[in-house]
Amino acid sequence: MADTRIDVPKSAKRGEIIEIKTLVAHTMENGFRRTHLGAPIPRNIITTFACSYNGVEVFRAELHPSVSANPYIQFTTVATESGTLEFSWSGDNGFSARETVRISVV
Amino acid sequence: MRLLKGKARRRFLAAAGGWAAAALASSARAQMTRTPLNNMPDVIRKLVGSKTINKGKVKLDLPPLVENGHLVPLAVRVDHPMTETDHVKAIHIFTERNPLPEMITFRLGPRAGRASVATRVRLADTQNVTAIAELSDGSFWSDSAFLIVTLAACLEELPA
Amino acid sequence: MDMIEMPKVSRRSFVIGSAAAGTGLAIGLKLPPFGPDVVRAQDGSPEVTHWVVIRPDDTVVIRIARSEMGQGTLTGLAQMVTEELECDWSKVTTEYPTPGESVKRKRAWGSYSTGGSRGIRESHEYVRKGGATARMMLVQAAADAWKVPAAECSAANSVITHTPSGRKVNYGKVAEAAARVTPPKDVPLKDPKDWKIIGKPVKRLDTLDKVTGKQVYGFDLKLPGMLNAAIMECPVFGGKVKSFDAAKVSGRKGVKKVLQVGDSAVAVVADTWWQAKTALDALPIVWDEGPNAKVSSASIAEINKAALDADQAFVGNDAGDAKGALAGAAKKIEAVYAYPFQNHAPMEPMNATAKYTADKCEVWVPTQDGEASFAATLAASGLPADKCEVYKIHLGGGFGRRGAFQDYVRQAVLIAKEMPGVPVKLLWSREEDMRQGRFHPVTQCKLVGGFDANNNLTGLHMRISGQSILAAVRPEAMIKGMDPATFQGLARSGEFEFGYQAIPNYLIDHAMRNPHVPPGFWRGVNINQNAIYIECFVDELAAAAGQDPLEFRRKLMAKNPKHLAVLNAVAERAGWGKPAPKGVFRGLAQMKAFNSFVAACAEVSVAGGNKVKVHRIVCATDPGYAVNPAQIERQIAGSFVYGLSALFDQECTVKNGRIVEENFNTYPSMKLAQMPKVESIVMPSGGFWGGVGEPTICVAAPAVLNAMAAAMGGKRFRSFPLKNHGITLV
Repeated sequence: MADTRIDVPKSAKRGEIIEIKTLVAHTMENGFRRTHLGAPIPRNIITTFACSYNGVEVFRAELHPSVSANPYIQFTTVATESGTLEFSWSGDNGFSARETVRISVV
Repeated sequence: MRLLKGKARRRFLAAAGGWAAAALASSARAQMTRTPLNNMPDVIRKLVGSKTINKGKVKLDLPPLVENGHLVPLAVRVDHPMTETDHVKAIHIFTERNPLPEMITFRLGPRAGRASVATRVRLADTQNVTAIAELSDGSFWSDSAFLIVTLAACLEELPA
Repeated sequence: MDMIEMPKVSRRSFVIGSAAAGTGLAIGLKLPPFGPDVVRAQDGSPEVTHWVVIRPDDTVVIRIARSEMGQGTLTGLAQMVTEELECDWSKVTTEYPTPGESVKRKRAWGSYSTGGSRGIRESHEYVRKGGATARMMLVQAAADAWKVPAAECSAANSVITHTPSGRKVNYGKVAEAAARVTPPKDVPLKDPKDWKIIGKPVKRLDTLDKVTGKQVYGFDLKLPGMLNAAIMECPVFGGKVKSFDAAKVSGRKGVKKVLQVGDSAVAVVADTWWQAKTALDALPIVWDEGPNAKVSSASIAEINKAALDADQAFVGNDAGDAKGALAGAAKKIEAVYAYPFQNHAPMEPMNATAKYTADKCEVWVPTQDGEASFAATLAASGLPADKCEVYKIHLGGGFGRRGAFQDYVRQAVLIAKEMPGVPVKLLWSREEDMRQGRFHPVTQCKLVGGFDANNNLTGLHMRISGQSILAAVRPEAMIKGMDPATFQGLARSGEFEFGYQAIPNYLIDHAMRNPHVPPGFWRGVNINQNAIYIECFVDELAAAAGQDPLEFRRKLMAKNPKHLAVLNAVAERAGWGKPAPKGVFRGLAQMKAFNSFVAACAEVSVAGGNKVKVHRIVCATDPGYAVNPAQIERQIAGSFVYGLSALFDQECTVKNGRIVEENFNTYPSMKLAQMPKVESIVMPSGGFWGGVGEPTICVAAPAVLNAMAAAMGGKRFRSFPLKNHGITLV
């Protein structure tokens, strides 16, 4: 399982807009580099990031090779109800990572 | 697919939300970058079709200078409601000098609360970066920011 | 997950703030009743364009973006502005606008990057236009006041004259009005034949302060309440800090803080630098040395040697079919050369002073690129551009260490962040400076030349092996994996064009092998070893063909007239072909570099088979235009000190993954008594702008080596420094 880091407030008021920060370890090999012997290094990137809130997708990002290594994505969502935020990443070579975080909404 | 160059390109970018023009002689500006322009205008045209790209609403933040362009913090905010019937659907980020014009696309909806995103990107050389927001009503709004990669200035016109 | 940290990104982190033009320099900005806003310097004097401030007493303050590091660029740029501005040179001073001001004013002064011998040749046009624009505005202001056409007025020496009536006015008196004139769109420049101050050997503007001790270097800087920091980074490149025992030293007198800086360094902050340094020396640090702890000069050399025969290599330049020509040659000769790591070793070690609060981060630093220092400050502080500032200080030597590499700025800011509100001067010890260089890369070269039955050179294969600089420093500039900088002086065309294009078949290629030692741009960069490789081998080829080295070269340079012109100039001045004094032998070398053509003829004698005396080096350079010929002569001589010190006595060796040479006892520079007489021929042929700071460095070593071979009956040395062969420079 890949290294991920998620920063979400543990609790929030109903209707409050919360800021979510996510980080995942990944080299994001852009596909344009070559080895010192001139051989192309194949592309290997994360292509998709999505966040679901109690099963409903609330945010998605499509990543291209220009995103830096260890992709950092920050976004917002409305704290609607207590439950689970699920974060998923997928990419080249079958890359897949998942992380869940509970949030309490009062 | 035709690459926009020169004056036509400047007009395009001005319409796209801002050209951070340096107050320099054109010869000096030409020396600042060597990486060729990619086909960004074509890719943007494919996204917006024949619609106008409006100025306003979008604020793209980049540092004005970075050393090597490997890890550039980038943030976009769109000043627009995020209701069921009226919201920002997507924010697209484009580069004019990286090998591929598309950098990242954020897909949003009313659940976002506000349209405010951030990430970190690679920018190969001194260049303009463009953010285009797509609204639920089908309209497009845009902002650009200019970034200087100081290492790019440090190198010779290198022989091919 | 120890390699990545959640970045502290907030939208406010990089909002630039309002980009009101000119706010950076103005205080008490006064809006005139009509006309454009006037931007003023601190003392209220008006800007007449952003390039020039004119005071009532006619003093002119010229803004300079590039950095002065002893190479004279400050003075040269000021000469160029002055030429077009037509001001009194005796009243010219300069100032460095800060990078923060530059950002606010949309980079009005252009690039700050001072390297690659670019300072003058890249900016000459726009700085001259800056001066010319200001002059036209001053003249227009006087003409408006006199109600006469501007075309009837002329300007010289800070005085505007209305020619028909003889009326005169000083610049100082019309500056206010001039600042309100709309800048002209069309700004013609003088023909070079009309230059009055460009081309003159005027005294440098920075020398006096340096001689009297008034010049404050970053090294000397003192700010109120300042603390001092010493730092050590893991000496094995790529290694990290595992642990350190702060308790062992934190009780020492004066010690304020012991802290880790980034992943790989530990610093001590104290009242005085000596307290910080001695505490750091006593601090137990355990390093995680990483995967490169066993690398040595020998292991690197073995890899580079094998690569001389590798199948794959990047082709930098070629013509015809070298391999075929060599296969069919009547006679072949071959030689293998090697050139070691070098360190910039400026007299002033790396330093930066930083002061951080949540509202402002300021850095004082000797830097070759103020913008790069500013970029490093933004990144390390996490503050937006309008909350950061960098103040440039004249450098005690740059040579390429202080432009592309801003590690000491990043370190200083990270330390200052731990002590908000307190200025912290971070000063590297000499040992740290020698260990944490950005080293001239290590390479080897195998050259094979083939002749036909009539001793004509038919083919040449030059295979370079070893380290690429760009692979580590700027991979974006690589071309399908190839590092074009490797071929400086050997290139197909352009600023580093090869001078022997009349060789019918040649192949110049590079088998890249990158060790873990961090490379950088040492003065001259790759022309240093490339000039030794090609110019020494051309002499070997000449000897194999039984021909005079000058005649042999002339034939091969038939397609390169400007390369040949400087070579002929030194040969003639040195008396090539005429007898030399007894025991004195001559050697030649030439190259095109940084868009200038350079050549040298060295005269040496060798005693006892190993004591070399370099009597004289005649050097010619064609930089297109010569802004300050006196300064060029000094640059030539200075570059020879650098290049010959390296040739005879300098190398950085690697043992257990780290650099061995830590001070000038093991990395000595040449001394005054060893310095040859240098005769310079500055021969600008016009029509192009070439650099001066670096090109000439590359011809001293091969000219001396070729002279030595002549003195020693053809005996050649092909690995360096020469002290390794028991050779001393006397």
